[in-house]
Amino acid sequence: MAYEFTKEDLKEIEKIKAKFPEVMPATLPVLWVAQKRFGHVEPEVQKLVAKTLDLPEAHVHGVATFYTQYYKEEKGKFVLDVCTCLSCQLCGGYDILHYLEKKLGIKTGNTTEDGMFTLNQVECLGACGYAPMLQVTNDKYVNHLTPEKVDKLLDDLKEGKEPEYEKIGMPRRKNI
Amino acid sequence: MPEVIIDGQQYEFEGQHKLLQFIQDLGKEVPFFCYHPSMSIPANCRQCMVKVGQYVKDRETGDYETDENGENVIRWFPKLQTACNIDVADGMVVHTQETDELVRRAQKDNLEFILINHPLDCPICDQAGECPLQIQTYKYGPEGSRFEVKKVHKPKRVQLGPRVVLDAERCINCTRCTRFTEEISKTHQLTITSRGDKNYPITAPGAEFDDPYSLNTVDLCPVGALTSADFRFKARVWEMNQTPSIDITNGKGSNIDLWTRDNIILRITPRFNADVNDHWIPDESREAYKLFNENRISRPQQKLEGEQILSSWNNAIATLTEQIEETDNSKILFIGSPHASVEENYSLGKFTNLLGLKQPVFTPHIEEGTGDGFLITDDQAPNTNGCRLLGFTELDGASLKKEVKKAELVVLLSDHLIDRALLSESDLADKFVIAFATNHSETTKAADLVIPITTAAEHAASYVNTDGRIQRTFRAKEIRYTNRRLDLEMSEGRLDRYGTNFDNWVTEDNKIDCLPLWSFISEAAKSSGLDLTLTEGREIMEEIAETLEPFKGVSYPVMDEQSGIQLSIKSKEKTKA
Repeated sequence: MAYEFTKEDLKEIEKIKAKFPEVMPATLPVLWVAQKRFGHVEPEVQKLVAKTLDLPEAHVHGVATFYTQYYKEEKGKFVLDVCTCLSCQLCGGYDILHYLEKKLGIKTGNTTEDGMFTLNQVECLGACGYAPMLQVTNDKYVNHLTPEKVDKLLDDLKEGKEPEYEKIGMPRRKNI
Repeated sequence: MPEVIIDGQQYEFEGQHKLLQFIQDLGKEVPFFCYHPSMSIPANCRQCMVKVGQYVKDRETGDYETDENGENVIRWFPKLQTACNIDVADGMVVHTQETDELVRRAQKDNLEFILINHPLDCPICDQAGECPLQIQTYKYGPEGSRFEVKKVHKPKRVQLGPRVVLDAERCINCTRCTRFTEEISKTHQLTITSRGDKNYPITAPGAEFDDPYSLNTVDLCPVGALTSADFRFKARVWEMNQTPSIDITNGKGSNIDLWTRDNIILRITPRFNADVNDHWIPDESREAYKLFNENRISRPQQKLEGEQILSSWNNAIATLTEQIEETDNSKILFIGSPHASVEENYSLGKFTNLLGLKQPVFTPHIEEGTGDGFLITDDQAPNTNGCRLLGFTELDGASLKKEVKKAELVVLLSDHLIDRALLSESDLADKFVIAFATNHSETTKAADLVIPITTAAEHAASYVNTDGRIQRTFRAKEIRYTNRRLDLEMSEGRLDRYGTNFDNWVTEDNKIDCLPLWSFISEAAKSSGLDLTLTEGREIMEEIAETLEPFKGVSYPVMDEQSGIQLSIKSKEKTKA
């Protein structure tokens, strides 16, 4: 399958390029444009980015593989990154992960058959205060997870409703 | 003059220097992996750590401050510094691993880090014996590893391109190879993929590492991660002899090393020469090792009733003399060769002079458009300018054909004119053709008498490159009539030095039955009653320097000392080449 940027994409890429004195630093944002458009940056997409920016293919490949947030293969519509690093682990991160595995009927790292969900186990996402938590497709965090919250999240996502940005204040001690 | 104190010793310096290079130029050592003098400095291997400080100066008086013991106060940098990317400055104090325990410790621990995921496969690794990682681990590394968990596994035996194989587990991510493709060959074919302990160099998906200079990355690689697909598993480096030589596959005259074992050239690597090829050679120059081994002519051959049969040296000399005597002088054509050395062409020229014949002619072997402006030239021959400076008549293909038509006896010097499509077999059909040649070809097939001569790997002789630089080769490979142990100029590997003639790794089979052209010509001249004795390239070059103006001041010792001599050639010749 041949990948092509749309006219709007190309316009955006031009805007990105204008921000930098050289083309090379535009690699990262343009890869994001590509991932937004195609849902992944497979080698073919990397090639397209390299061609569009007139950069060596090898360079774009190196950049794309360096960052885990770029998907080098096709993923589900929603990628659920469940944190199992220390704080989340202690607060039941693995329970959530296993619950999701059971619920979706897939093993960690795989995608459901309908192509809706990919389940990943990730390291710390910097939200230890809201453990256990997960991230939806490099974007919104869903915090203080419970099986009920997970059920609701999956139902919402299936309906196309993305989770809301959640503002959680840090607990403050009063008498200091 | 600014001064720097390294390990308690004071050194004066001028200009800008990087500390690591400066220390190396002094003949001292600091271990490193990623630094390379011809490329950018990323300082990512962290191996060249040294302790650096500066004498404290009193701002007002400008004197050095001293402590109560009268010693200069040193303000040390807060952390150890990588020597490769720090500039040498006036009043700098440097402690290397030789004087500082902290530096020793840092280098040792760094090596332990590098070795965490490095496989312990030195016994089967091609790099062993010439591996900076191996050498420096012996010198500066820890005695063992404290790392007890499973090593990270990565792809092995990846055929990156037609000539380079990758073993990703051995890689220490110095990025020398990727920097080479970015900065030197400019093909940008390699990149480091992934990150952390999983990273390794690779091409873009689906792309091939077919850079015409790709094998230089194999030399650059400080470990056995990149190996040559061709040389892989052929020999251990310590079994081979290393002999300096000159590349003969094109006009650039890149400096090379020939690696031999039991008189077979096994590989060719570049040799540093800042004026010619820096640290690099093109891949096709490395392929040339086959020329020295395969398809060689051994013993003279003569055509009898349309078929070439092995003959003897005496017969070859007799036939040559006879043919020259019998043929009318104006019908004899000697053809010199840009593929042969200055000494060989000169010997041929002198022989024709003494016989009272015309000077030899030659045709440059130039293929337009094959050069790349770097180390690959349009000129396919190593010595085109040498022939010009010797005063040989330069003919193009058409006029050569005409000259050949007029002649009855054609003497060819290692130039495969039929293979070059300058002549056809029918052009030579009714002539008597004598070919001095190194390898079998269509041209030698057409010859009536084939006399085997030595290649650049078997004689010491000089070549003038496209820029007019004269450089010389050394004897790397024995012929039937030489002996490595008696010839003090030949290098001896371990096997030669400690073996005997009865060892099963020594054979006579790899010695070619051929002679240097000048030796054969001396013999031939003797039988014609001429006074001509040419014994060795060294002496011939002395004679050339005395008699020919363009070669004034050229001699082997000077060439060796200055790694070649620049001769003055006409600018027309320069651009044409």
